[in-house]
Amino acid sequence: MDNPPTTPNRRRFLATALRAAGALGLGGLTAGLAAKRGRTGEYVWQLDPQKCIACGNCATYCVLDESAVKCVHSFAMCGYCDLCTGYFPPEPIEQRTGAENQLCPTGAIQRAFIEDPYFEYRILRDRCIGCGKCVKGCSAFGNGSLYLQVQHDRCLNCNECAIAVACPSQAFRRVPADDPYLLKVRGKQA
Amino acid sequence: MLQQNPPLRRLLPIALGGLLVAVLVVASLAVLLYDPSGEAGNRLPENFQYDLSAFQKIDPALIRYRQAAEIPLELKQPRGIAAGREDQILVAGDRAVLIFDSHGKKISQIDLADEPRCLAVAGQDHAVPGRIYVGLKDRLAVFDAADAPPKTWETRGLKAFFTSVAPAEHDVFVADAGNKIVWRYDVQGKLLGRIGDPGPDGNIPPFIVPSPYFDVAVSPDGLLRAVNPGRFQIEAFTFDGFLEQTWGLPGLEISRFCGCCNPSALAVLPDGRIVTGEKGIARVKVYNAEGKFQCVVVGPDVLTPTPAAVAESRDEHRLLPVDLAADRQGRILVLDPAARRVRIFVEK
Ligand code: SF4
Ligand code: SF4
Ligand code: SF4
Repeated sequence: MDNPPTTPNRRRFLATALRAAGALGLGGLTAGLAAKRGRTGEYVWQLDPQKCIACGNCATYCVLDESAVKCVHSFAMCGYCDLCTGYFPPEPIEQRTGAENQLCPTGAIQRAFIEDPYFEYRILRDRCIGCGKCVKGCSAFGNGSLYLQVQHDRCLNCNECAIAVACPSQAFRRVPADDPYLLKVRGKQA
Repeated sequence: MLQQNPPLRRLLPIALGGLLVAVLVVASLAVLLYDPSGEAGNRLPENFQYDLSAFQKIDPALIRYRQAAEIPLELKQPRGIAAGREDQILVAGDRAVLIFDSHGKKISQIDLADEPRCLAVAGQDHAVPGRIYVGLKDRLAVFDAADAPPKTWETRGLKAFFTSVAPAEHDVFVADAGNKIVWRYDVQGKLLGRIGDPGPDGNIPPFIVPSPYFDVAVSPDGLLRAVNPGRFQIEAFTFDGFLEQTWGLPGLEISRFCGCCNPSALAVLPDGRIVTGEKGIARVKVYNAEGKFQCVVVGPDVLTPTPAAVAESRDEHRLLPVDLAADRQGRILVLDPAARRVRIFVEK
Protein backbone atom coordinates (compact mmCIF):
# COMPACT_ATOMS: atom_id res chain seq x y z
CA MET A 1 0.00 0.00 0.00
CA ASP A 2 1.45 3.34 -0.95
CA ASN A 3 -0.60 5.75 1.10
CA PRO A 4 -2.34 6.06 4.42
CA PRO A 5 -6.05 5.18 4.14
CA THR A 6 -7.19 8.77 4.14
CA THR A 7 -5.13 9.60 1.09
CA PRO A 8 -7.17 8.13 -1.78
CA ASN A 9 -10.13 10.31 -0.84
CA ARG A 10 -7.90 13.29 -0.58
CA ARG A 11 -6.17 12.44 -3.83
CA ARG A 12 -9.52 12.18 -5.56
CA PHE A 13 -10.58 15.43 -3.99
CA LEU A 14 -7.40 17.18 -5.06
CA ALA A 15 -7.75 15.97 -8.63
CA THR A 16 -11.30 17.28 -8.70
CA ALA A 17 -10.20 20.53 -7.12
CA LEU A 18 -7.48 20.99 -9.70
CA ARG A 19 -9.84 20.32 -12.55
CA ALA A 20 -12.35 22.70 -11.05
CA ALA A 21 -9.85 25.43 -10.20
CA GLY A 22 -10.82 27.55 -13.16
CA ALA A 23 -14.43 27.45 -12.17
CA LEU A 24 -13.93 27.96 -8.42
CA GLY A 25 -11.18 30.23 -7.15
CA LEU A 26 -10.62 31.63 -10.60
CA GLY A 27 -14.28 32.14 -11.37
CA GLY A 28 -13.68 35.61 -12.77
CA LEU A 29 -10.98 34.18 -14.91
CA THR A 30 -13.36 31.99 -16.84
CA ALA A 31 -15.81 34.80 -17.24
CA GLY A 32 -13.04 37.22 -18.20
CA LEU A 33 -11.57 34.85 -20.73
CA ALA A 34 -14.98 34.45 -22.34
CA ALA A 35 -15.41 38.22 -22.39
CA LYS A 36 -12.06 38.74 -24.08
CA ARG A 37 -12.28 35.99 -26.67
CA GLY A 38 -11.40 37.16 -30.14
CA ARG A 39 -9.26 40.06 -28.95
CA THR A 40 -5.97 38.76 -30.30
CA GLY A 41 -3.38 41.50 -30.64
CA GLU A 42 -4.91 43.69 -27.93
CA TYR A 43 -3.42 44.24 -24.51
CA VAL A 44 -4.95 44.55 -21.03
CA TRP A 45 -3.66 45.31 -17.54
CA GLN A 46 -2.59 42.56 -15.20
CA LEU A 47 -0.58 42.41 -11.99
CA ASP A 48 2.32 40.04 -11.56
CA PRO A 49 1.86 38.06 -8.32
CA GLN A 50 5.62 37.57 -8.17
CA LYS A 51 6.02 41.35 -7.83
CA CYS A 52 2.93 42.23 -5.78
CA ILE A 53 3.60 42.94 -2.10
CA ALA A 54 -0.12 43.01 -1.17
CA CYS A 55 0.16 46.65 -0.06
CA GLY A 56 -3.60 47.28 -0.06
CA ASN A 57 -3.60 49.89 -2.87
CA CYS A 58 -5.44 47.55 -5.22
CA ALA A 59 -8.53 47.87 -3.03
CA THR A 60 -8.54 51.65 -3.00
CA TYR A 61 -6.97 53.03 -6.19
CA CYS A 62 -9.09 51.35 -8.88
CA VAL A 63 -11.40 53.81 -10.69
CA LEU A 64 -14.29 51.44 -9.99
CA ASP A 65 -16.13 51.72 -6.68
CA GLU A 66 -15.47 48.06 -6.12
CA SER A 67 -11.99 47.24 -7.36
CA ALA A 68 -11.48 45.12 -10.46
CA VAL A 69 -8.73 43.35 -8.53
CA LYS A 70 -9.75 40.33 -6.52
CA CYS A 71 -8.13 37.46 -4.75
CA VAL A 72 -7.74 34.10 -6.49
CA HIS A 73 -6.67 30.80 -5.00
CA SER A 74 -4.26 28.26 -6.43
CA PHE A 75 -5.67 25.01 -5.08
CA ALA A 76 -2.63 23.15 -6.36
CA MET A 77 -0.38 25.14 -4.02
CA CYS A 78 -2.68 25.20 -0.99
CA GLY A 79 -1.95 23.03 2.05
CA TYR A 80 -5.68 22.76 2.94
CA CYS A 81 -4.65 23.67 6.50
CA ASP A 82 -7.09 23.60 9.37
CA LEU A 83 -5.45 26.69 10.83
CA CYS A 84 -5.21 28.67 7.57
CA THR A 85 -3.36 31.92 8.22
CA GLY A 86 -5.01 33.47 5.16
CA TYR A 87 -8.42 32.84 6.72
CA PHE A 88 -7.72 33.39 10.43
CA PRO A 89 -6.04 36.48 11.90
CA PRO A 90 -2.73 35.92 13.72
CA GLU A 91 -4.47 35.25 17.02
CA PRO A 92 -7.99 33.95 16.31
CA ILE A 93 -10.34 33.91 19.27
CA GLU A 94 -11.48 30.47 18.23
CA GLN A 95 -10.73 28.17 15.30
CA ARG A 96 -14.27 28.53 13.94
CA THR A 97 -15.89 30.27 11.01
CA GLY A 98 -17.50 33.05 13.07
CA ALA A 99 -16.89 36.57 11.78
CA GLU A 100 -14.85 37.51 14.83
CA ASN A 101 -12.32 34.84 13.87
CA GLN A 102 -11.81 35.93 10.28
CA LEU A 103 -9.04 37.95 8.73
CA CYS A 104 -11.03 38.94 5.63
CA PRO A 105 -12.87 42.23 6.27
CA THR A 106 -15.78 41.28 4.01
CA GLY A 107 -16.19 37.57 4.76
CA ALA A 108 -15.14 36.74 1.21
CA ILE A 109 -13.40 33.48 2.06
CA GLN A 110 -15.51 30.40 2.48
CA ARG A 111 -14.06 27.62 4.62
CA ALA A 112 -15.37 24.12 3.95
CA PHE A 113 -14.44 20.91 5.72
CA ILE A 114 -13.11 18.26 3.35
CA GLU A 115 -11.88 15.45 5.59
CA ASP A 116 -9.99 15.40 8.86
CA PRO A 117 -7.99 17.65 9.13
CA TYR A 118 -8.26 19.29 5.70
CA PHE A 119 -10.28 22.38 4.81
CA GLU A 120 -10.85 24.04 1.47
CA TYR A 121 -10.84 27.83 1.12
CA ARG A 122 -12.78 29.44 -1.72
CA ILE A 123 -12.95 33.10 -2.61
CA LEU A 124 -16.47 34.48 -2.90
CA ARG A 125 -15.64 36.84 -5.73
CA ASP A 126 -18.56 39.18 -5.30
CA ARG A 127 -17.49 39.98 -1.77
CA CYS A 128 -13.75 40.34 -2.33
CA ILE A 129 -12.47 43.93 -2.43
CA GLY A 130 -8.89 43.01 -3.28
CA CYS A 131 -7.42 44.28 -0.01
CA GLY A 132 -4.74 41.57 0.03
CA LYS A 133 -4.90 40.87 3.78
CA CYS A 134 -5.42 37.18 3.17
CA VAL A 135 -2.51 37.23 0.72
CA LYS A 136 -0.24 38.51 3.46
CA GLY A 137 -1.52 35.98 5.99
CA CYS A 138 -1.06 33.09 3.60
CA SER A 139 2.42 34.30 2.62
CA ALA A 140 3.58 34.76 6.22
CA PHE A 141 3.18 31.13 7.23
CA GLY A 142 1.64 29.16 4.38
CA ASN A 143 2.41 28.29 0.80
CA GLY A 144 1.46 31.62 -0.80
CA SER A 145 -1.50 30.10 -2.63
CA LEU A 146 -3.75 33.18 -2.25
CA TYR A 147 -2.89 36.06 -4.56
CA LEU A 148 -4.43 38.97 -6.44
CA GLN A 149 -5.42 39.27 -10.11
CA VAL A 150 -7.21 41.92 -12.18
CA GLN A 151 -10.55 40.37 -13.15
CA HIS A 152 -11.21 41.05 -16.80
CA ASP A 153 -14.95 40.79 -16.64
CA ARG A 154 -14.79 43.91 -14.43
CA CYS A 155 -11.70 45.84 -15.50
CA LEU A 156 -12.35 48.84 -17.80
CA ASN A 157 -8.84 48.57 -19.27
CA CYS A 158 -8.21 52.25 -18.61
CA ASN A 159 -5.50 53.82 -20.74
CA GLU A 160 -3.59 54.55 -17.58
CA CYS A 161 -4.53 52.08 -14.85
CA ALA A 162 -4.91 54.06 -11.62
CA ILE A 163 -3.59 51.20 -9.57
CA ALA A 164 -0.56 50.73 -11.80
CA VAL A 165 0.35 54.36 -11.13
CA ALA A 166 0.00 53.86 -7.37
CA CYS A 167 1.59 50.43 -7.20
CA PRO A 168 4.75 50.62 -5.07
CA SER A 169 6.31 47.54 -6.62
CA GLN A 170 5.66 48.04 -10.34
CA ALA A 171 3.62 44.87 -10.39
CA PHE A 172 1.27 46.01 -13.17
CA ARG A 173 2.01 45.43 -16.83
CA ARG A 174 0.26 44.99 -20.14
CA VAL A 175 -0.47 41.43 -21.17
CA PRO A 176 -2.11 39.98 -24.29
CA ALA A 177 -5.91 40.13 -24.06
CA ASP A 178 -6.24 36.54 -25.17
CA ASP A 179 -3.96 35.39 -22.32
CA PRO A 180 -4.77 37.96 -19.64
CA TYR A 181 -3.89 36.20 -16.35
CA LEU A 182 -0.52 35.73 -14.64
CA LEU A 183 -1.10 32.60 -12.64
CA LYS A 184 1.02 31.29 -9.82
CA VAL A 185 2.19 27.75 -10.19
CA ARG A 186 4.59 26.61 -7.48
CA GLY A 187 6.13 28.67 -4.71
CA LYS A 188 9.83 28.96 -4.03
CA GLN A 189 9.54 26.55 -1.14
CA ALA A 190 8.62 23.51 -3.17
CA MET B 1 -60.17 32.45 48.60
CA LEU B 2 -58.09 34.84 46.60
CA GLN B 3 -59.95 36.51 43.79
CA GLN B 4 -58.42 38.30 40.82
CA ASN B 5 -59.84 41.73 40.46
CA PRO B 6 -61.56 42.34 37.08
CA PRO B 7 -59.12 45.01 35.54
CA LEU B 8 -56.13 42.72 36.14
CA ARG B 9 -57.98 39.85 34.44
CA ARG B 10 -58.52 42.07 31.42
CA LEU B 11 -54.87 43.22 31.33
CA LEU B 12 -53.36 39.72 31.45
CA PRO B 13 -54.05 38.72 27.81
CA ILE B 14 -52.68 42.09 26.64
CA ALA B 15 -49.49 41.63 28.69
CA LEU B 16 -49.08 38.07 27.40
CA GLY B 17 -49.61 39.24 23.83
CA GLY B 18 -47.01 42.00 24.29
CA LEU B 19 -44.53 39.52 25.72
CA LEU B 20 -45.08 37.18 22.79
CA VAL B 21 -44.49 39.99 20.29
CA ALA B 22 -41.28 41.03 22.13
CA VAL B 23 -40.01 37.42 22.10
CA LEU B 24 -40.79 37.15 18.39
CA VAL B 25 -38.96 40.41 17.62
CA VAL B 26 -35.88 39.39 19.62
CA ALA B 27 -35.88 35.92 18.02
CA SER B 28 -36.20 37.35 14.50
CA LEU B 29 -33.38 39.82 15.18
CA ALA B 30 -31.20 37.02 16.54
CA VAL B 31 -31.85 34.93 13.42
CA LEU B 32 -31.17 37.90 11.15
CA LEU B 33 -28.00 38.99 12.91
CA TYR B 34 -26.59 35.52 13.66
CA ASP B 35 -23.65 34.94 11.40
CA PRO B 36 -22.19 31.52 12.06
CA SER B 37 -20.17 31.46 8.84
CA GLY B 38 -18.84 34.96 9.29
CA GLU B 39 -20.35 36.07 6.00
CA ALA B 40 -20.96 39.57 7.29
CA GLY B 41 -17.24 40.08 7.60
CA ASN B 42 -15.04 40.34 10.63
CA ARG B 43 -14.90 42.72 13.51
CA LEU B 44 -11.29 43.71 13.16
CA PRO B 45 -10.77 47.48 13.09
CA GLU B 46 -11.19 48.99 9.62
CA ASN B 47 -7.57 50.09 9.54
CA PHE B 48 -6.36 46.62 10.55
CA GLN B 49 -3.04 45.80 8.92
CA TYR B 50 -1.53 42.36 8.76
CA ASP B 51 1.35 43.02 11.09
CA LEU B 52 3.30 40.42 13.01
CA SER B 53 5.90 42.77 14.48
CA ALA B 54 4.52 42.44 18.01
CA PHE B 55 4.97 38.68 17.82
CA GLN B 56 8.52 39.00 16.55
CA LYS B 57 9.77 40.39 19.86
CA ILE B 58 11.17 37.87 22.30
CA ASP B 59 11.82 38.46 25.99
CA PRO B 60 15.66 38.64 26.17
CA ALA B 61 15.58 36.68 29.46
CA LEU B 62 14.35 33.64 27.51
CA ILE B 63 17.33 33.67 25.13
CA ARG B 64 19.92 31.43 26.74
CA TYR B 65 22.23 30.87 23.78
CA ARG B 66 24.69 33.17 22.09
CA GLN B 67 26.08 33.05 18.60
CA ALA B 68 29.71 31.92 18.86
CA ALA B 69 30.59 31.89 15.16
CA GLU B 70 29.15 32.02 11.69
CA ILE B 71 30.13 30.58 8.33
CA PRO B 72 29.21 32.47 5.15
CA LEU B 73 28.15 30.11 2.37
CA GLU B 74 28.87 30.29 -1.32
CA LEU B 75 25.59 28.62 -2.13
CA LYS B 76 22.58 30.15 -3.86
CA GLN B 77 20.13 27.88 -2.14
CA PRO B 78 21.40 26.18 1.01
CA ARG B 79 18.99 23.40 1.93
CA GLY B 80 20.26 21.18 4.72
CA ILE B 81 22.81 21.05 7.54
CA ALA B 82 24.38 18.20 9.51
CA ALA B 83 27.09 17.69 12.12
CA GLY B 84 29.77 15.22 11.05
CA ARG B 85 32.78 13.39 12.49
CA GLU B 86 34.84 15.48 14.91
CA ASP B 87 32.07 18.05 14.84
CA GLN B 88 32.59 18.88 11.21
CA ILE B 89 29.81 20.98 9.72
CA LEU B 90 28.25 19.84 6.43
CA VAL B 91 25.91 21.96 4.34
CA ALA B 92 23.97 20.76 1.30
CA GLY B 93 22.72 23.14 -1.36
CA ASP B 94 22.77 23.91 -5.09
CA ARG B 95 24.45 20.71 -6.37
CA ALA B 96 27.04 20.19 -3.66
CA VAL B 97 27.81 19.29 -0.08
CA LEU B 98 30.31 21.66 1.55
CA ILE B 99 32.36 20.26 4.42
CA PHE B 100 33.84 22.57 7.08
CA ASP B 101 35.92 21.73 10.15
CA SER B 102 34.42 22.46 13.56
CA HIS B 103 35.75 26.03 13.41
CA GLY B 104 34.15 26.76 10.05
CA LYS B 105 37.17 26.34 7.77
CA LYS B 106 36.18 24.68 4.50
CA ILE B 107 38.03 21.40 4.06
CA SER B 108 36.32 19.72 1.11
CA GLN B 109 33.32 19.57 -1.17
CA ILE B 110 31.26 16.80 -2.73
CA ASP B 111 29.71 17.62 -6.09
CA LEU B 112 26.30 16.13 -6.75
CA ALA B 113 24.50 15.20 -9.95
CA ASP B 114 21.21 16.54 -8.60
CA GLU B 115 19.86 19.12 -6.16
CA PRO B 116 20.09 18.01 -2.54
CA ARG B 117 17.10 18.45 -0.22
CA CYS B 118 18.53 17.22 3.09
CA LEU B 119 21.51 15.45 4.59
CA ALA B 120 22.84 13.57 7.61
CA VAL B 121 26.10 12.05 8.75
CA ALA B 122 26.12 8.68 10.54
CA GLY B 123 27.50 8.73 14.09
CA GLN B 124 30.04 6.37 15.69
CA ASP B 125 27.30 3.88 16.62
CA HIS B 126 26.18 3.46 12.98
CA ALA B 127 27.15 0.35 10.98
CA VAL B 128 29.21 2.61 8.70
CA PRO B 129 30.40 5.48 10.92
CA GLY B 130 30.85 8.80 9.14
CA ARG B 131 28.79 7.77 6.13
CA ILE B 132 27.13 10.75 4.47
CA TYR B 133 23.48 10.43 3.45
CA VAL B 134 22.23 13.04 0.99
CA GLY B 135 18.50 13.19 0.30
CA LEU B 136 17.70 14.02 -3.31
CA LYS B 137 14.08 14.59 -4.25
CA ASP B 138 13.01 10.94 -4.34
CA ARG B 139 16.09 8.88 -3.35
CA LEU B 140 19.21 8.81 -1.20
CA ALA B 141 22.77 9.24 -2.44
CA VAL B 142 25.12 7.54 0.02
CA PHE B 143 28.84 8.40 0.36
CA ASP B 144 31.01 6.10 2.50
CA ALA B 145 33.71 8.77 2.39
CA ALA B 146 33.79 12.31 1.03
CA ASP B 147 35.92 11.19 -1.94
CA ALA B 148 34.09 7.88 -2.55
CA PRO B 149 31.64 7.52 -5.46
CA PRO B 150 28.01 7.58 -4.32
CA LYS B 151 25.69 4.61 -4.11
CA THR B 152 22.19 5.64 -5.04
CA TRP B 153 19.31 3.90 -3.34
CA GLU B 154 16.04 3.03 -5.01
CA THR B 155 13.68 5.88 -5.91
CA ARG B 156 10.41 6.14 -3.98
CA GLY B 157 8.59 7.35 -7.09
CA LEU B 158 7.31 10.55 -8.62
CA LYS B 159 5.31 11.63 -5.61
CA ALA B 160 8.26 11.37 -3.21
CA PHE B 161 9.76 14.55 -1.78
CA PHE B 162 12.52 13.77 0.72
CA THR B 163 13.00 16.44 3.37
CA SER B 164 15.01 14.81 6.15
CA VAL B 165 17.24 11.80 6.83
CA ALA B 166 18.22 10.32 10.20
CA PRO B 167 20.62 7.37 10.59
CA ALA B 168 20.40 5.14 13.68
CA GLU B 169 22.64 2.16 14.54
CA HIS B 170 21.34 -0.27 11.93
CA ASP B 171 18.56 1.78 10.35
CA VAL B 172 18.14 4.86 8.23
CA PHE B 173 14.93 6.91 8.41
CA VAL B 174 13.82 9.25 5.66
CA ALA B 175 10.99 11.79 5.94
CA ASP B 176 9.06 12.02 2.68
CA ALA B 177 6.82 15.12 2.55
CA GLY B 178 5.31 14.01 -0.76
CA ASN B 179 4.03 10.68 0.56
CA LYS B 180 3.61 12.03 4.13
CA ILE B 181 5.43 9.03 5.51
CA VAL B 182 8.76 8.15 7.13
CA TRP B 183 10.56 5.34 5.31
CA ARG B 184 12.72 2.92 7.29
CA TYR B 185 15.72 1.33 5.51
CA ASP B 186 18.55 -0.93 6.62
CA VAL B 187 22.08 0.31 6.01
CA GLN B 188 22.21 -1.50 2.66
CA GLY B 189 19.22 0.46 1.41
CA LYS B 190 16.65 -2.32 1.76
CA LEU B 191 13.22 -0.91 2.65
CA LEU B 192 12.17 -2.31 6.06
CA GLY B 193 8.98 -0.42 6.75
CA ARG B 194 7.13 2.85 6.98
CA ILE B 195 6.15 5.02 9.92
CA GLY B 196 2.99 7.11 9.91
CA ASP B 197 0.50 4.42 8.95
CA PRO B 198 -2.53 4.15 11.24
CA GLY B 199 -1.25 0.94 12.94
CA PRO B 200 -3.22 -2.26 13.73
CA ASP B 201 -5.75 -0.39 15.94
CA GLY B 202 -5.98 2.55 13.55
CA ASN B 203 -5.05 4.94 16.33
CA ILE B 204 -1.87 6.50 14.95
CA PRO B 205 -2.80 9.87 13.43
CA PRO B 206 -1.38 10.41 9.93
CA PHE B 207 1.32 12.98 9.30
CA ILE B 208 -0.17 16.26 8.08
CA VAL B 209 2.43 17.93 5.88
CA PRO B 210 0.96 21.00 4.13
CA SER B 211 4.33 22.32 2.91
CA PRO B 212 7.63 20.60 2.13
CA TYR B 213 9.04 20.82 5.67
CA PHE B 214 8.97 17.52 7.48
CA ASP B 215 11.88 16.67 9.77
CA VAL B 216 13.01 13.58 11.69
CA ALA B 217 15.86 12.86 14.13
CA VAL B 218 16.95 9.89 16.23
CA SER B 219 17.14 10.56 19.98
CA PRO B 220 19.56 9.03 22.50
CA ASP B 221 16.53 7.35 24.18
CA GLY B 222 16.29 5.07 21.12
CA LEU B 223 13.14 6.68 19.72
CA LEU B 224 12.63 8.41 16.41
CA ARG B 225 11.40 11.98 16.81
CA ALA B 226 9.30 13.27 13.90
CA VAL B 227 7.53 16.56 13.42
CA ASN B 228 3.84 16.35 12.58
CA PRO B 229 3.65 19.95 11.31
CA GLY B 230 -0.08 20.13 10.54
CA ARG B 231 -0.78 19.02 14.12
CA PHE B 232 1.91 21.33 15.58
CA GLN B 233 3.40 18.36 17.35
CA ILE B 234 6.59 16.43 17.91
CA GLU B 235 5.91 12.71 17.91
CA ALA B 236 8.15 9.92 19.23
CA PHE B 237 8.01 6.51 17.56
CA THR B 238 9.68 3.18 18.14
CA PHE B 239 11.60 2.08 15.09
CA ASP B 240 8.68 -0.29 14.33
CA GLY B 241 6.33 2.65 14.05
CA PHE B 242 4.51 2.56 17.39
CA LEU B 243 3.60 6.02 18.61
CA GLU B 244 5.03 6.53 22.11
CA GLN B 245 4.65 10.23 22.79
CA THR B 246 3.25 13.44 21.30
CA TRP B 247 3.52 17.01 22.47
CA GLY B 248 3.13 20.53 21.10
CA LEU B 249 0.39 23.14 20.76
CA PRO B 250 -0.44 25.74 18.10
CA GLY B 251 -0.12 29.41 18.94
CA LEU B 252 2.05 32.49 18.84
CA GLU B 253 3.05 32.20 22.49
CA ILE B 254 6.72 31.42 22.82
CA SER B 255 6.19 27.91 24.20
CA ARG B 256 3.88 27.01 21.27
CA PHE B 257 4.32 26.54 17.54
CA CYS B 258 3.10 29.41 15.37
CA GLY B 259 1.39 29.69 11.98
CA CYS B 260 -0.46 27.06 9.98
CA CYS B 261 2.08 24.20 10.18
CA ASN B 262 5.11 24.09 12.41
CA PRO B 263 7.77 23.28 13.55
CA SER B 264 9.57 23.08 10.25
CA ALA B 265 12.89 21.79 11.61
CA LEU B 266 14.06 19.53 14.40
CA ALA B 267 17.36 18.45 15.97
CA VAL B 268 18.26 16.47 19.07
CA LEU B 269 21.00 17.54 21.50
CA PRO B 270 23.37 14.86 22.89
CA ASP B 271 21.47 14.91 26.22
CA GLY B 272 18.13 14.24 24.49
CA ARG B 273 16.72 17.77 24.55
CA ILE B 274 14.85 18.76 21.41
CA VAL B 275 15.64 21.83 19.30
CA THR B 276 12.86 23.14 17.07
CA GLY B 277 12.81 25.68 14.26
CA GLU B 278 9.67 27.51 13.10
CA LYS B 279 8.85 29.09 9.78
CA GLY B 280 6.94 32.35 9.48
CA ILE B 281 8.07 33.83 12.75
CA ALA B 282 11.57 32.39 12.64
CA ARG B 283 12.47 31.18 16.09
CA VAL B 284 14.68 28.36 17.32
CA LYS B 285 13.81 26.95 20.73
CA VAL B 286 14.83 24.17 23.11
CA TYR B 287 12.42 21.77 24.85
CA ASN B 288 13.17 18.90 27.18
CA ALA B 289 12.49 15.39 25.85
CA GLU B 290 8.96 15.49 27.32
CA GLY B 291 8.11 18.74 25.54
CA LYS B 292 8.55 21.29 28.31
CA PHE B 293 9.71 24.59 26.85
CA GLN B 294 13.15 25.54 28.15
CA CYS B 295 14.56 28.49 26.27
CA VAL B 296 15.08 30.34 23.00
CA VAL B 297 18.25 29.91 20.97
CA VAL B 298 17.66 32.67 18.45
CA GLY B 299 14.67 34.63 17.22
CA PRO B 300 13.37 36.73 14.34
CA ASP B 301 15.55 39.74 15.22
CA VAL B 302 18.52 37.75 13.88
CA LEU B 303 16.85 35.36 11.42
CA THR B 304 14.57 37.86 9.63
CA PRO B 305 16.38 40.47 7.50
CA THR B 306 13.57 43.06 7.89
CA PRO B 307 10.30 42.89 9.88
CA ALA B 308 8.36 43.12 6.59
CA ALA B 309 10.08 39.99 5.26
CA VAL B 310 7.80 37.87 7.46
CA ALA B 311 4.66 38.42 5.37
CA GLU B 312 6.45 38.81 2.04
CA SER B 313 4.16 37.70 -0.78
CA ARG B 314 6.72 37.58 -3.60
CA ASP B 315 7.97 34.01 -3.80
CA GLU B 316 11.51 35.04 -4.66
CA HIS B 317 11.72 37.14 -1.51
CA ARG B 318 9.93 34.85 0.89
CA LEU B 319 11.74 33.83 4.01
CA LEU B 320 12.96 30.25 3.73
CA PRO B 321 12.86 28.28 6.98
CA VAL B 322 16.00 27.40 8.90
CA ASP B 323 17.44 23.90 9.11
CA LEU B 324 19.02 22.63 12.32
CA ALA B 325 21.67 20.24 13.59
CA ALA B 326 23.38 19.66 16.93
CA ASP B 327 26.96 18.46 17.36
CA ARG B 328 28.55 16.29 20.07
CA GLN B 329 29.60 19.36 22.09
CA GLY B 330 25.97 20.45 22.28
CA ARG B 331 26.47 23.34 19.89
CA ILE B 332 23.36 24.19 17.86
CA LEU B 333 24.01 24.69 14.16
CA VAL B 334 21.43 26.90 12.46
CA LEU B 335 21.37 27.06 8.68
CA ASP B 336 20.02 30.53 7.89
CA PRO B 337 19.10 30.45 4.19
CA ALA B 338 18.03 34.12 4.12
CA ALA B 339 21.52 35.22 5.18
CA ARG B 340 23.16 32.29 3.39
CA ARG B 341 25.23 31.38 6.41
CA VAL B 342 25.58 28.88 9.20
CA ARG B 343 25.19 30.31 12.67
CA ILE B 344 26.77 28.37 15.53
CA PHE B 345 25.18 28.79 18.95
CA VAL B 346 26.50 27.83 22.39
CA GLU B 347 24.86 28.11 25.79
CA LYS B 348 25.51 31.44 27.55
S1 SF4 C 1 -8.96 39.45 2.67
FE1 SF4 C 1 -9.20 41.05 1.08
S2 SF4 C 1 -8.27 40.13 -0.77
FE2 SF4 C 1 -8.61 38.45 0.69
S3 SF4 C 1 -10.60 37.61 0.12
FE3 SF4 C 1 -10.98 39.14 1.72
S4 SF4 C 1 -11.40 41.05 0.60
FE4 SF4 C 1 -10.43 39.63 -0.86
S1 SF4 D 1 -7.39 49.44 -15.55
FE1 SF4 D 1 -8.90 50.76 -14.54
S2 SF4 D 1 -10.56 49.36 -13.97
FE2 SF4 D 1 -8.80 48.09 -14.47
S3 SF4 D 1 -7.79 47.67 -12.50
FE3 SF4 D 1 -6.81 49.50 -13.38
S4 SF4 D 1 -7.95 51.25 -12.56
FE4 SF4 D 1 -9.21 49.40 -12.19
S1 SF4 E 1 -0.82 48.11 -5.75
FE1 SF4 E 1 0.77 46.71 -6.50
S2 SF4 E 1 1.77 45.88 -4.66
FE2 SF4 E 1 -0.15 46.86 -4.00
S3 SF4 E 1 -1.63 45.17 -3.92
FE3 SF4 E 1 -1.83 46.11 -5.98
S4 SF4 E 1 -0.39 44.96 -7.30
FE4 SF4 E 1 0.10 44.47 -5.18
